Amino acid sequence: MTPNGGFAVGLILIALSVVEPGPRGAAVLVALALAFAIIEVRAASLLAARRAALVVLPLALFMGLVWVGIVGEAPYQIAADAVGTRAAALVYVAKLSGRLFFIVTVIQLVFLRFADLTPLQLIRALALPVAVKRMLAITLSLIETLRHAIDRAHIALIASGTLTRAPSLRNALHSWRLIQAVWLSAVTIMLGRMRDKWPVENTMARLDAALAHVPARVFAGDDRIWLPITLGAAAVTLLADLVGKP
Amino acid sequence: MFTTPRLILIALGAAINCSIGTIVYLVKLPIYLDSIGTILIALLLAPDRMAAFVCAWAAGWVGLAVSGLINPFLPWFAITDVAIALVAALLIVPAAATFRARPARGGPFAFQVVLCGAVTGIVSAIVSAPVVVYLFGGVTGSGSAVVVALFLKDGLHLMSAAIMSGLTADPLDKVLQVLLAALLYRATPGEFITLLRAPEPGAAA
Repeated sequence: MTPNGGFAVGLILIALSVVEPGPRGAAVLVALALAFAIIEVRAASLLAARRAALVVLPLALFMGLVWVGIVGEAPYQIAADAVGTRAAALVYVAKLSGRLFFIVTVIQLVFLRFADLTPLQLIRALALPVAVKRMLAITLSLIETLRHAIDRAHIALIASGTLTRAPSLRNALHSWRLIQAVWLSAVTIMLGRMRDKWPVENTMARLDAALAHVPARVFAGDDRIWLPITLGAAAVTLLADLVGKP
Repeated sequence: MFTTPRLILIALGAAINCSIGTIVYLVKLPIYLDSIGTILIALLLAPDRMAAFVCAWAAGWVGLAVSGLINPFLPWFAITDVAIALVAALLIVPAAATFRARPARGGPFAFQVVLCGAVTGIVSAIVSAPVVVYLFGGVTGSGSAVVVALFLKDGLHLMSAAIMSGLTADPLDKVLQVLLAALLYRATPGEFITLLRAPEPGAAA
């Protein structure tokens, strides 16, 4: 399976979950996601589910607190001016949380499917314009730079007595200085690279040459199995709950 | 349009949006602070409004894609980021000279911050309300959901509650964001800004 195929399957699954299929459609969607997890991602699927739970559980608790605890009725009951119940609000929050869990799990599954590729290999394999690939590569390379900038700024402000190592009121009061220091540190690091380091090493030309690779076919290998199945499942998902309706 | 310094700026702006926005989201404040990078980019690319709009928009979307891994609600507000980038290019960019004036002129500075923040907030509230209502039925994971809930308890309808919640929280949030972006803009070295505004021969179009 190629990254293009993986992302296409992921996008179709997410789009289908957003159109809120009925029970039959949802069952088809979950079955397809499970098949993708078992066949393509295998044991790492558990990691995807765990990460999704870490993201969605606190959110579900918060939404439950607001909608079941404070409002006490579901949004559709409010919209219809009907008498609301906490049970309906709970069901609504549970359904929404389930949908979010599905979306986050699918995103994690797609990324874990290509976990053996380096970020540059993954970007290189995508069927995207070179400018977009360049932006993605630079964004990823900046993550480490920003970590350095945060460390530098943090240590400098601790050394100057502006911040403390332990949590304190002073840290809260001076947090803005940390943000400013991180920004300036990041800007000066990047200035140095663009002005001195990259021209000497010819970095950008090399990056462009690496990213200019265009795959012979956008979709290949198992994509030709997964994409028709996913598109077929999409049609079934959209139509399943219409069968039997007057 | 997308010179190397501008690509780096987009990545930096996206990183600011993600980092500050995610902290605010996790502590459930009824504000967002997730567009400081977008507004800052527009200021740094002034007076070129087209470049300011396109780069601010790109940073907004890159930030959404990354933040979406922690806040799954966020990517659905992509259209709000386009609106913020547009308002930033049209309204905030002309204020760049005031924000960078040395010494700072307190009155005009404060006036521009409040005006730009309030307008951005109103536009953002109006654009976001349909997403909140039609896609999530008013249920989102940010701190502003509490404000929506309180308006609903007060008897307002869902769309009215979403719009009222937006109009209550967004102008304040955006005034704060414009202020923080303006302060970062003032602190940015002139050499970096010159690099951003210069054309780069042979750059990716």
